[in-house]
Amino acid sequence: MENGDGSSSLSRRELLRMIGATAGATAMYQAMSTLGFAAESPYQGPVDLQGAPRGASVLILGAGMAGMTAAYELRNAGYKVQVLEYNARAGGRNWTLRGGDRYTELGGHTQQCEFDKDFYINPGPWRIPYHHHGMMHYTKLLNIPLEPFFQVNYNAYLHSSNAFGGKPQRYREVKADYQGHVAELLAKATRQNALDASVTKEDQEMLLESLRQWGALDTNYSYVSSDASSDRRGYEKSPGGGLSARPIPSKPAALHDILDSGLWSGVANGDTFDMQTALFQPAGGMGRIGEAFGKELGPLIRYNAKVTDIHQDDRGVTVTFTDVQSPGAQQTVRADWCLCTIPLPILAQISMNVSQSMASAISAVPYAASVKAGLQFKRRFWEQDEKIFGGITYTDLPIMNIGYPNTGFQSGGKGVLLGAYIWGLRAMEFTAMTPAERVQKVVDYGSQIHPQYHKEFENGVAVAWHRAPFTLGCFGMWTSATRAKHYDDLCQIDGRLALAGEHASFLGGWQEGAVTSALDTIGRLHQRAVAQGERA
Amino acid sequence: MRNVALGVALGAAALLLMLSAYADSPMFTSRATLGSLNGEQIYDHICQGCHMPGGQGAVGAGSYPKLAANKNFVSWRFVALTVLDGRNGMPPFGFPAGHGMNSGPAHLSDAQIADVVNYVRSHFGNAYKAEVTAEEVQALPHPAAELMGPQ
Repeated sequence: MENGDGSSSLSRRELLRMIGATAGATAMYQAMSTLGFAAESPYQGPVDLQGAPRGASVLILGAGMAGMTAAYELRNAGYKVQVLEYNARAGGRNWTLRGGDRYTELGGHTQQCEFDKDFYINPGPWRIPYHHHGMMHYTKLLNIPLEPFFQVNYNAYLHSSNAFGGKPQRYREVKADYQGHVAELLAKATRQNALDASVTKEDQEMLLESLRQWGALDTNYSYVSSDASSDRRGYEKSPGGGLSARPIPSKPAALHDILDSGLWSGVANGDTFDMQTALFQPAGGMGRIGEAFGKELGPLIRYNAKVTDIHQDDRGVTVTFTDVQSPGAQQTVRADWCLCTIPLPILAQISMNVSQSMASAISAVPYAASVKAGLQFKRRFWEQDEKIFGGITYTDLPIMNIGYPNTGFQSGGKGVLLGAYIWGLRAMEFTAMTPAERVQKVVDYGSQIHPQYHKEFENGVAVAWHRAPFTLGCFGMWTSATRAKHYDDLCQIDGRLALAGEHASFLGGWQEGAVTSALDTIGRLHQRAVAQGERA
Repeated sequence: MRNVALGVALGAAALLLMLSAYADSPMFTSRATLGSLNGEQIYDHICQGCHMPGGQGAVGAGSYPKLAANKNFVSWRFVALTVLDGRNGMPPFGFPAGHGMNSGPAHLSDAQIADVVNYVRSHFGNAYKAEVTAEEVQALPHPAAELMGPQ
């Protein structure tokens, strides 16, 4: 995978690195993808499960994306399928909270979502990258209308409470200024012959021209207040028509202020492979997918079933469960094979006879903390006052993200935004509060970015994933050490049982991980079932 | 940089239980101030997210162990190793200091882990007297110096 010209200086490669590190992954990725470095989702199109043994049965534990993907495909292939689901609804973490919904978290606090009709938040996944081909496939199959998800909005904010007097900065300005100053510096280094050892004279000419374009530099390779730079960062007074037409260029922030602010760390937020345009959201909420899947599978899913024991022998698997709504009586269900998608913190507590290696793997994966809060306001002030239409504001405040609705633009009346999307230590702290305290804190912190908050706020909900009764955490966190030690053991078929879910994928926390994990696993289960022949 | 003094003032679990819905909640800690929290504050800021105020635990599809009157706590090593390395989905807190990003697990020092172990073993109806020291925690296995962030 060397660069084509085989030049001894490796200058082009070095250049790519430099550009990749500063301009972010977009330029880098475009260059690299032609070399085949960048990988897409392994999804290969509809799974081929021909030749299912007559009468063979599969019991699936969990009606989330993994479980329902597997149930759908196995049913269509002729297997007898049953699904046990703990919740009273299908979807698992594919879930939307809408006005009128009630949600009781561990610890007993019940929230009544008081949003107006048609407003919602997605407490779990909220975006689908276009290259999550499995998710795109099933979304299409289930006739789910998609809307654009604005990962990057140049008019949303990057905010640091310690920079620019705590005043949020437009993404557009930070990006333009960071890029412009870096281009100017690199041009200066080039013209002072500092790059002679690594870039040929011929390439230097091209480099300089590219820096001028990329950084919006002037004819002297300087990043200054000009039409060119204002065309990136915005004008002091934008061009218009008539006698008031003449634009007034804006003044870039100084390099020191940009560097010192730390806001440059947000410039590449849309450049990672998972965040690159286009991304989508299901109209009406991510939960539309789980709901449609659940409807499609209909009576195959048994809801309110809490699994308490999984026991396999050489002919099949027996699962014991209780009905959440009338606990006490234990029921059992048996099948030839079992696909278990139960999140690992829960599965680790369920008695089951699997190999020691799989049992160790199940206990080896800690789950990430995450909290999301939805807030309803009397008006869409972020659009009306600040001209922010969709996208995300990033802040160093404990709320970390504000997600603006990517739909319903300019509609009169109320609006709901994602007031916080939090992970790590701060998510743990938010989890430790009551839901009402979380919402209050989210409003308080958010008002540092949008002063309209306190006046316009109406109601809110806050979901802390470690208090979700059906997951006990947000998603599995692997390290390269735990992957090396446990990942294959987790994914191997163990007798008549196999696991699937985002935890059994390299797409941790993404629905695509659940889908591709399910397809990979049922493909292997199917091979084994076929090899066993007719029902044993 | 939220200050620790307020955290101290507001941190007690009993007080938190008494707070009305819209009363102020404990101040946030941060990477910078986390290191100065004592055992009780660590419990209030972090542990009770799952183990609940008063160490009452919770039951859903799975459960969070009740820490109140917990017989496993006879072994301080069991408790300390659980905090250091995590257990059954519980995140580890024994990663080396300064490691990872805001998104990853939080680091607690050996002294803090000793302090929170002593706290939970002497509260919520537990009355184990033996005080664990930072040196004793230091001697236990710690997780490797790496982690990954979220999506």
